[in-house]
Amino acid sequence: MVKTQLLVVGGGPAGLCGAIEASRRGVETLIVDEGVELGGQLVKQTHKFFGHEGFYASVRGFEIAKRLKDQLNEHVKIMLQTTVTGIYEDVVVLYDRQNDVPLEVQADYILLATGASERFIQFENNHLPGVYGAGAVQTLMNQFMVLPGRRFLMVGSGNIGLIVSYQLLQAGAEVAAIVEIADRIGGYDVHLRKIKRFGIPVLLRHTIKKALGQEKVSGAIVVQVDENFQPIEGTEKEFAVDAICIATGLVPSVELAAMANVKIEYVPELGGFVPYRDQNMRTNVENIFIAGDLAGIEEATTAMIEGRIAGLTIAQSITKANLSREIESLQRELIEFRSGPFSEKVRRGLAKFFPQRVVEYSREPQVDSGPVGKLRPIIECYENIPCNPCQTSCPTGAIVVGGNINSLPKIDYEKCTGCGICVSKCPGLAIFMVQENVEPGFDLVIVPYEMLPVPEEGERVIALDRDGKQVCEAQVIRIVRFPHKTNLVHLKVPAGYATRVRNFRVKKQENVFVCKCEEVTLEDIEKAIDLGFTDYEELRRYLRIGMGMCGGRTCRSLVLSILSRKLGKSPEELLKGHFRPPVMPTKFESILRGESNED
Amino acid sequence: MSRIFEHPILMRRSARTVRFYFEGKELEAVEGETVAAALIANGIDVFGETERGKPRGFFCAIGKCSSCLMIVDGEPNVRVCITPVKEGMKVQRQFGRSGVPW
Ligand SMILES: Cc1cc2nc3c(=O)[nH]c(=O)nc-3n(C[C@H](O)[C@H](O)[C@H](O)COP(=O)(O)OP(=O)(O)OC[C@H]3O[C@@H](n4cnc5c(N)ncnc54)[C@H](O)[C@@H]3O)c2cc1C
Ligand code: SF4
Ligand code: SF4
Ligand code: FES
Repeated sequence: MVKTQLLVVGGGPAGLCGAIEASRRGVETLIVDEGVELGGQLVKQTHKFFGHEGFYASVRGFEIAKRLKDQLNEHVKIMLQTTVTGIYEDVVVLYDRQNDVPLEVQADYILLATGASERFIQFENNHLPGVYGAGAVQTLMNQFMVLPGRRFLMVGSGNIGLIVSYQLLQAGAEVAAIVEIADRIGGYDVHLRKIKRFGIPVLLRHTIKKALGQEKVSGAIVVQVDENFQPIEGTEKEFAVDAICIATGLVPSVELAAMANVKIEYVPELGGFVPYRDQNMRTNVENIFIAGDLAGIEEATTAMIEGRIAGLTIAQSITKANLSREIESLQRELIEFRSGPFSEKVRRGLAKFFPQRVVEYSREPQVDSGPVGKLRPIIECYENIPCNPCQTSCPTGAIVVGGNINSLPKIDYEKCTGCGICVSKCPGLAIFMVQENVEPGFDLVIVPYEMLPVPEEGERVIALDRDGKQVCEAQVIRIVRFPHKTNLVHLKVPAGYATRVRNFRVKKQENVFVCKCEEVTLEDIEKAIDLGFTDYEELRRYLRIGMGMCGGRTCRSLVLSILSRKLGKSPEELLKGHFRPPVMPTKFESILRGESNED
Repeated sequence: MSRIFEHPILMRRSARTVRFYFEGKELEAVEGETVAAALIANGIDVFGETERGKPRGFFCAIGKCSSCLMIVDGEPNVRVCITPVKEGMKVQRQFGRSGVPW
């Protein structure tokens, strides 16, 4: 039997924050999580988070997980790969998978932060391998770097569907389309724009009808729906995909709470069945608290704040210290976060438990787009979302979101020096820089870019507009790299295009052959050079280039010019390779015959 | 389906490999990954069959849905999406709830 003052079930952002606050006040805490590492959903989030800096806005999810873990102190014990299987009146039962043993824990307080599981939906053949939850795809691709498909259909356009689509592109997969049964996008506009500018179609009022395939998914049939969400016969479309990603929502994991006699209520606005709790995250059972997605499907920032409130309230009960100031300040923080239009549903849901308050925010958008000819940011963020890194990152105070985090960002072009920091910090990738007439006949557009391949300076690329449509050719004139990996790519575009160009595509080089004999492409060679094969002989041995039937006549000079371009050395400096006979393919038979003739 | 070697944001965490067996066939996995990730990386996405003979793969990858049950080292009903792969591990497809391999 293990004894602890506080048992935290689930080591996601909510559980970790609860443990941080409680342990900081000396509470002996045990965190139990069934995963292979702490962090919950955070470990698979590669995008920069929204919110404000106090809650790690503009930091990538997996980095947030690390920062939270670093704050756990000596009062915290951690058990991973351990599932809490039951809560009884006087004891909690765990199952340690690594050692294959059950374990009993007695805790004075319990914080349940078990998160949520993915909502499954009904369609024909939904059992087939290849039909995957969006979170599952994320786990595989971002935690383990394995792609469970090549070409995906995304079902659902909430933030998860939009974000996972973007992450699939980053991982090198294709997204055939996103289908959404409602008549509007569920997630943030800035997330939508991130994928639209790669040309991914979003089909509103559409749903999946059927997965195709015998053993596994080989396609999907999508159908349009009417106002009552019923399929309209004859509107079926077929997509050739090998994976279908379901992002239709999450369901709070309430099982343990229910076992512990916590009152479970049906509140669809919060994700379905949710445990009752008050403003301090205390349930109807005196010593049981909840936080995070379990308390209502929301997001990581609110999960962290709720976790902190729970941790502080528990610490207050145990240590008798007065922590009401800290708790109230976090409650105000929550109210501010939830004041925006996207939290309207959550507020309606929570109103069933306790009265909701909102604080006002500004809906006034930016009107002017700044002085033509000056290097300046254009902010394309038009929704009231709780986010403000643009404001906090600007060194000159040129961007103001205002007192309330849900207000729209506004920019004072007089104060802006054109440094570009806001472009790299904005988690919505919603800020671009433009300058008209950088050169006679040309404009400059700077776009945030988080994809591969990263083009080279000087390279010509295809410029795309906000819908991912090809608009013109552009030249990459500079790339500014940041440690947080949002690169700023400077594009020189024909005059007049600065208002349209918002993305670009690297020209495909797959079919550019340098050596036809051994089928070696330009891309192969450039990759090998990047890997460190920087001389002709090394490349020859690595790629078999020049070892084909032509004896290197076709490719040698091409390879040397590629090497010289990439390394900035002259071709003479680079040609150290030996020339070996024969210059023309000669049959061994003939050679042998020659030798015997000499005898 | 395949491993991601180049990523604009992420770095591979481990390059060390372990060997495990799927239906007797020796396969390679990356240390620290789950059995499910290792199978997918090796192109295996059918993890078993349902009671009624329908092919079955993973769905949630976080241990919630039990869609990924397989026989690991002789033990049936193991959720391979939250089970780290180990050197020499023997993994088999599972048929229905019975645990009888194919
Ligand atoms: C694709 C995607 C994108 C997102 N983007 C954003 C974003 O940009 N900004 C934002 O603020 N939020 C975002 N979120 C939401 C955010 O990640 C979640 O709201 C947040 O992780 C909820 O935290 P949590 O601690 O409640 O749950 P989780 O992070 O889900 O953690 C729950 C933990 O509990 C463990 N657990 C569950 N049951 C048991 C048990 N019985 N025994 C032991 N352990 C158990 C699980 O293993 C897990 O580690 C995103 C979510 C997803 C899926
Ligand atoms: S470009 Fe620099 S100075 Fe101008 S708004 Fe952005 S961060 Fe501020
Ligand atoms: S512009 Fe500002 S408020 Fe909008 S997404 Fe970017 S950082 Fe957030
Ligand atoms: S895939 Fe859901 S439990 Fe493993």
